[in-house]
Amino acid sequence: MSNQIKFSGVKKVFGSGPDAVHAFGPVDMVVEDGEFVSLLGPSGCGKSTLMLMTAGLLDLTEGSVSIGGTPVKGPQTDIGIMFQDNTLVPWRTVRGNIELQLEMRGISVASKRAEIDAILASVHLEDFADRHPYELSGGMQQRAAFCQAMIHAPNTMLLDEPLGKLDAMTRERIRSDLQSLWMEQRPTVLFVTHSIEEAIQLSSKVAVITPRPGRIERVIDIDLPYPRDYEVKRSPEFSAYVHETQEIFRGYGVI
Amino acid sequence: MASFDKKPTFAGLKLRLMNSWMFVAFFIGFFLFWEYSVLWFDIPLYILTPPSLIIENGAADLPRLLDYTLVTGTEVIIGYVLAVVLALPLGLAIAFSTILKRTIYPFIVCIEMVPKIAFAPLFISWLGFGLLPKVIIVFLVCFFPIVLNAILAFNSLSEELTLFSRSTGAGIWRTFFKVRLPAALPQCFVGFKYAAINATVGAAIAEFIGSDEGLGFYIQIVTGNMRPDLAFAGIFFLTLLGLCLFGLVTLAERLLIPWHISVRRN
Repeated sequence: MSNQIKFSGVKKVFGSGPDAVHAFGPVDMVVEDGEFVSLLGPSGCGKSTLMLMTAGLLDLTEGSVSIGGTPVKGPQTDIGIMFQDNTLVPWRTVRGNIELQLEMRGISVASKRAEIDAILASVHLEDFADRHPYELSGGMQQRAAFCQAMIHAPNTMLLDEPLGKLDAMTRERIRSDLQSLWMEQRPTVLFVTHSIEEAIQLSSKVAVITPRPGRIERVIDIDLPYPRDYEVKRSPEFSAYVHETQEIFRGYGVI
Repeated sequence: MASFDKKPTFAGLKLRLMNSWMFVAFFIGFFLFWEYSVLWFDIPLYILTPPSLIIENGAADLPRLLDYTLVTGTEVIIGYVLAVVLALPLGLAIAFSTILKRTIYPFIVCIEMVPKIAFAPLFISWLGFGLLPKVIIVFLVCFFPIVLNAILAFNSLSEELTLFSRSTGAGIWRTFFKVRLPAALPQCFVGFKYAAINATVGAAIAEFIGSDEGLGFYIQIVTGNMRPDLAFAGIFFLTLLGLCLFGLVTLAERLLIPWHISVRRN
């Protein structure tokens, strides 16, 4: 089954009358099956709004979103979502939080024991399965949140600045984990970020979004070999992409 | 839940004593000052009695004090449990119903402004000297903090958890029991504890106004008989009663939400 995400004339206006805020769009874009696409833009440009509309958690004012050819109407349950603030609940352990995702969906936890152990090991959290979120560092919490968001093995992932609140070094590490995971399983990923380097390092395409009302200014194909490690980041090609993106934001007076 | 267990150790006890010795010293000093100032300043015993006499005379009147503790305790427990049982579902209903939020909620907020104790004489005159008017007063004193905190509790689920719950496609009941209820418990306990502190106040005042038994009645009668020693003994048992109720609520809190910051910090 295809996981292509298609945006056609997507527009969002909050409120109505003279107080209405035109937050986003209109936007047209296609995210092909297995692509890693970043939505890169300044804060307040409506990146998260687009994410929520894709997940079916927020109504569109105009236009349509479809995933795998099916129009999004209401919450999409076969995708994995990570929100800006993690959704770990304090009364459950890391394992319990992962099980919460399954329990909420009515999936038997007993049948998924091996999968839970595997996903915990893939982010190096196997020794922290029985800890509560408050016993973990910020980086470990985000890893746990990632396991929670992905345990039902979705083919489409929506990641809304999942690394936004982490320190630079932890970000760097989790980025490379995320990259290996994507290379291995090839899900379709829509990744929201305001970090130019992060977007270029991870994505096959970067959609550069203008300040509010957010529109897609340009979709840049990032033609760099994976895995994009430290060497790639120091290459002149990488710098050229960074430069190209920065020029767009400078044109808008964002940076 | 193993990580919450804190086993009491001898070293831990020693540390706690070391940290609290100043308080203990102050406490002992306070009672010594009380004891001897009554003698030094020649205060008549019908005005103020030294603590030693309170203990001695209180012990002599122990059967009556225990009887009355049971009477007041019954009023407090029935009123409190009734308040929890009725206020929690009502708070829940108001939190999730727009109609109730526009009708009953403002009404409850208005009544919350009224000092509930002021109703006590009316209830006594309507319902007589028995158990019922006291239970009602305790109920009224406890009901409002519980209901208002419950409304707050069930309305403050974070945006992320609301979106997460919706994204799983879970129905309202599953979302309620797995996410909303546990998330709301800490705020609910704020109401339970506040109500527990005020329950004995309600019972004592209701008994002052019209009663022929109970600790409030006892305190009023012995004060009239110029026996401050016995009044203090009554106050002691009333305090003990309040502490027991508060202790039980705190114990329930520890058992139900051991993960919460307010519990972990202690």
